[in-house]
Amino acid sequence: MPGMAQGHALRDAAKLPPPSADIDCDIVIIGSGAAGLAAAWRLAKEGRRDFIVVEGPEPDGNAAGASMAGQACPTGAHYLPLPSMESRHVREMLQDVGVIVGDAYGRQPEFDERVLVHTPQERLLRAGKWYEDLLPDEVDAPAQRAEHQRFARTIEQLKSAVGSDGRRAFAIPVALSSQDAQWRMLDKLSFRDWLTREGYRSAALHWYANYACRDDYGAGYERISAYAGLHYFASRAGEARNAEPGAVLTWPDGLQSLVRALRARIGFAAGSRLDDRTAPRRMSGFAASVQLKGKGVEALIVQQEGGASRTLRIRARHAICAMPLHVAAHVVNDMPGFGFDAATHLPQSAPWMIANFLMRRFPEERAKSPLAWDNVIYAGKGLGYVVATHQLIRVARPEYTVFSAYDALSERSPQEMRRWLETATPTELLGRAAGDLSMAYEHLWPCVERVDITLRGHGMASPTPGYLSNKGLLALREVDGPLQFAHSDLSGYSVFEEAAWWGEVAARRLL
Amino acid sequence: MRDRILILSVFIVASCGLAYELIAGALASYLLGDTVLQFSSIIGCYLFAMGVGSHLSRYVKDEDALACFIDVELLVGIIGGLSATLLFAIFAWASAPFRTVLYALVFVVGVLVGMEIPLVMRVLYGRKAEMREMVSRVLTFDYLGALVVSLLFPLVLAPRLGMSRTALLFGLLNAGVALLTARVFDKEIKGTRGIRLRGAIVVIMLIGALAFSSQLTRWAEQSVFGDQIVHAETTPYQRMVITRWQDDLRLYLNGNLQFSTRDEHRYHEALIHPAMQSLPGARSVLVLGGGDGLAVRELLKYKTLEHVTLVDLDPAMTHLFSTSAELTAINEHALTNPRVHVINADAGQWLETDAHSYDAIVIDLPDPSNFALGKLYSVPMYRLVSKHLAEHGYVVVQSTSPYFAPHAFWCVVATLREAGFYTWPYHVNVPSFGEWGYVLASRHDSFTQPDHYDVPMHFLDASSTREMFHFPADMLAPDVEPNRLNNQALVHYFEQDWHRVIR
Repeated sequence: MPGMAQGHALRDAAKLPPPSADIDCDIVIIGSGAAGLAAAWRLAKEGRRDFIVVEGPEPDGNAAGASMAGQACPTGAHYLPLPSMESRHVREMLQDVGVIVGDAYGRQPEFDERVLVHTPQERLLRAGKWYEDLLPDEVDAPAQRAEHQRFARTIEQLKSAVGSDGRRAFAIPVALSSQDAQWRMLDKLSFRDWLTREGYRSAALHWYANYACRDDYGAGYERISAYAGLHYFASRAGEARNAEPGAVLTWPDGLQSLVRALRARIGFAAGSRLDDRTAPRRMSGFAASVQLKGKGVEALIVQQEGGASRTLRIRARHAICAMPLHVAAHVVNDMPGFGFDAATHLPQSAPWMIANFLMRRFPEERAKSPLAWDNVIYAGKGLGYVVATHQLIRVARPEYTVFSAYDALSERSPQEMRRWLETATPTELLGRAAGDLSMAYEHLWPCVERVDITLRGHGMASPTPGYLSNKGLLALREVDGPLQFAHSDLSGYSVFEEAAWWGEVAARRLL
Repeated sequence: MRDRILILSVFIVASCGLAYELIAGALASYLLGDTVLQFSSIIGCYLFAMGVGSHLSRYVKDEDALACFIDVELLVGIIGGLSATLLFAIFAWASAPFRTVLYALVFVVGVLVGMEIPLVMRVLYGRKAEMREMVSRVLTFDYLGALVVSLLFPLVLAPRLGMSRTALLFGLLNAGVALLTARVFDKEIKGTRGIRLRGAIVVIMLIGALAFSSQLTRWAEQSVFGDQIVHAETTPYQRMVITRWQDDLRLYLNGNLQFSTRDEHRYHEALIHPAMQSLPGARSVLVLGGGDGLAVRELLKYKTLEHVTLVDLDPAMTHLFSTSAELTAINEHALTNPRVHVINADAGQWLETDAHSYDAIVIDLPDPSNFALGKLYSVPMYRLVSKHLAEHGYVVVQSTSPYFAPHAFWCVVATLREAGFYTWPYHVNVPSFGEWGYVLASRHDSFTQPDHYDVPMHFLDASSTREMFHFPADMLAPDVEPNRLNNQALVHYFEQDWHRVIR
C-alpha cells in the first residue's frame, strides 16, 4: 500500500520534529509521478538546472514498477496509447527518449518496434473459449452484431468529429477538446444511460463499455460520465507508420521504463548534494505542508529513515505541486483560497489492486490459444492480466515470467471498497487477485512461485457526470504564480498524457 | 484359510477396480482437458457399468460362481491392463475414435469389476459363512483396497510409472488373483488346466507390454515417419527424430524435415557460398541456428576464416551433432573444430548482449510457423543483426519456399529492406524440400553473383548460380508487408501459403 502510512499520518496531522535544515532553490517539484517528472523534463530540456524534485511517498507514482526474480513487472500503469495529434508534448518526450524514431509530429510517426505491442495484443475468454477480439463477432446473434457495428461506426465518426472552434470533439489532453455544447452536454448523464438512450441492448457491448470504464477510470459505467466513456474510445486516434491502428506502447514493467528514461534525460545530479544548484536534484521524502511565503513558496519535507523522521524546509521561488488532489487538500495551505473546496470539488478516487504473479512456468492454455499481452475474462471480476515477458524477442519461453492481474474494486462505493482493502486478510486479497487467472487456467497454482499485491487505496480519479464543469478543477488549472498545480487529477481522470500535459503547462509558465 | 484367500482377493480386486477408474479419468483429463467433466463422466459411466455387472451376476449359476470369478479376473486383467496403452496408441493415431474407445473400455471394465464382489460373496455364502460377518468383511476389504490405491496412485504410481505401466501392473495383479484362486480351489472347480493356460497367456501378454511400453511410443512414431528411427529424443525445446532408409539419413524437428543426406549439399552450398565467395577476406562468421553443423562444415572450407560462432538454442542438438559418430561423419566434425565456438542461447537474447561484429551472418532458423519463431524474422531482429554486421559484410537468411509460400518468402525480403538492408533473393531446388529460398542482404548496394567458386562444390557453378538468382514468371513477388512485431504478418502469410499447398 504505497504511501498509505505517510498519507494517513498527514491526514491525522501527526506531530513532526522541527526542520533540521533549510534548502534554497529556484523551483521545487513536489511529487515524482508522470506530472512531476514531465515538468522536470521540460525544465531540464529548456536549460533549467536549479530545481529539486521531491520524490513523494512513492517514486514514479502510478508509473511505478517492480522486479520479481529479476523480471521487471508493473505495479502501476502498463501501457501508453499511440499519442494523438494533440499530444505534441508526449510525442516530443517519446522522441527524446528514442521511442519515436521518425516523423514525430506527423500523422503516422515511426516508433521503436520493440516498444509497440507485439502480436497477439489481446484476447478474451468467453464461455470457455478464447477470442482475438474484446467484442468478438462470431459469438453474438446478428441483432447484437449490428449494434456492435453501429457503435463502432459512431466511434469512428466521433474520432474525426471537429467542433465549431476547430478542435476535435474528443481530444487528449481533454483540455484541448472542443467546447461545443453538443458534446459537453454528454457530461450530464452516465455512460450506461447514454448507451440505453441510444438503443444499445447487447449484453456484450454493455459489458465492454463497462469494462473500458473500470479499466481506465476505476469505476463502473453507471458511475462514469458519458462524455468520459466516449472519450475513452474516441480520443485514441493515434497512428503509427509501423503498427496497426489501436496498437499501444508497452514495456515489461509498464510505464516505469518510460519514466526511467525520462529521469535519465533530466540528468539528476549523482549523489545527494542538495546545495549544488548547477544540476537538477532529487530527494526522498514527502511534503507535510506547502505554503506561500513572501514572494516564494515554503515546503516542509518529511524524510523517514529507519524508524526516525526528520524534516527539511525548502524555500523556492516557485513550486509545482505534483501530488494527487486528495493529498494536496491536506498539504497545501489555504486550498479554498485557490478556488478549490475539497468537500465539493475533490474527484471521487478509485481503489485499485495490482497483483504480480511470479510464474515458474507457463500454465497450459485452453485449446493451445497463444498467450496474448493483455488477457481479459468476459464478465470476470478483475480486468484481466498482462504478461511481462511478452515483448522479449525470444524463441524459447523464459525461465520465469510475471502475470500482472489488474482489478479496480468498483462493485461497491470506493469508500466501502477501501475499507474492505484495509481489513481484508492476505488470503482474501489473494483469492480476489487470482479470480481472473483461476478462470483462465485449470492448473494455475503449481505454476505460481510468489504473488506480490500492490494496493492503491486512491489509485485514480474517476470522471463522474459533471466532471468537465468541476469548478475547483477548472480553478486549479489556472493557478499561476509562485505555486502551480500539476497532476492528472486536474483533468478529472488518470492517464499519462493528462499528467504529462499539466506538468508541461506548469513548467512552461516558469520558462 | 481358503476364505482368507478370498478376502485377500477382494482387497486386491477392489484396488485394481479403482485403479482402472482413476487411470481412465486421469488419461482423459490429461489428453482431452477439462478435468471435472472427464472425471465426473468416467466415474459415472464406470459406476453405472458396475451396477450392470452386479445385475448380470445373477445369471451365473451357483456352482459356476467360482470359475466365473476366475475368468472375470483374467478378463479384467487383460482389458484393464492394456487399457491405458491402447488409449495412448489410439490417441496418437487419431482423436475421433478416442472418446468412443475410452467410454467403451470404461464400460466393459466396469461391468466385469461389478461382477466381482457379488460373485465372491456368493462363493463365501455358499461355503456357509455367516451372513453378517461375511458382508462386513468383504465390504471392509473392498473399501480398504480402494483407500490404498487412491493414495498410491497419485503419490507413487502415476508419477513413477506413468499411466501405461500402472495399468499393466494392476492387470498382472488381477491375473495373479485368478491364478491364485484357481490353485487354492483346484479341487472345487473343473478345467483348471484351461484356466492356467489362459492365465499364462494373459500374464505373458501383460509382461510383454510392460517390457515394450517405451518402445511402443517409438513404434507409433515410426508409423508416421515411415523410415527406421535411429535416434529420438525430446528436449525442452523440441522433438528430435533421426531416421534412416538405406543411405538416406534424415533429421526431423517437431515432425518437420530439416535435411536429408541425399541432397542437403544443395541446401547448404546455396546457403553459404554465394555470400562467402563474395567475401574473400572474411575472418569471422556468425551462424544463428544450424545446430546440425552442416552450414559450419561449408564455412570451414574457407581456410582464411578464423572464427565461426554458432548460436543454437538447444544444447541437446549441438551435443548430438558433436558426438554421434554417424552424424559427425556427415558434418565432418564441424562443431568440434577448434575454429568453431558453439553457444547454446536464444538468438535474440544473445545478440542483445554480444558486442562483436561479423563479416557474414548466416541465419538458418526453423520456418516462422509460430509467433515465437516469427519474432526472429522481424524488423527489430534484423536491425539488431545489422548492428553486428561488418560494413561490407553479408547476411543470408533461409526464408522458406518462394514457390509454395511466396508471400512468406517475399515478406522476409520486405522485412530485411524495412530494416535498412539491400537484398538479393535467390532460390534452389532441393529435391527433398522442393524449391527453397534464401535472401542475401547487406548494408551496401553492391553484390555480383559469383561466376566461379574457389572451394570445391558438388552442385554450385556459374550456370546454377545464374539460375538461382533468376525468378521465372511463376515465382514473381506478390505484394506483401514487412514482418512487424505488432502484427507478425509473416506468420499469417506462412500459415496461409502452406495451408494452400498441404492437403
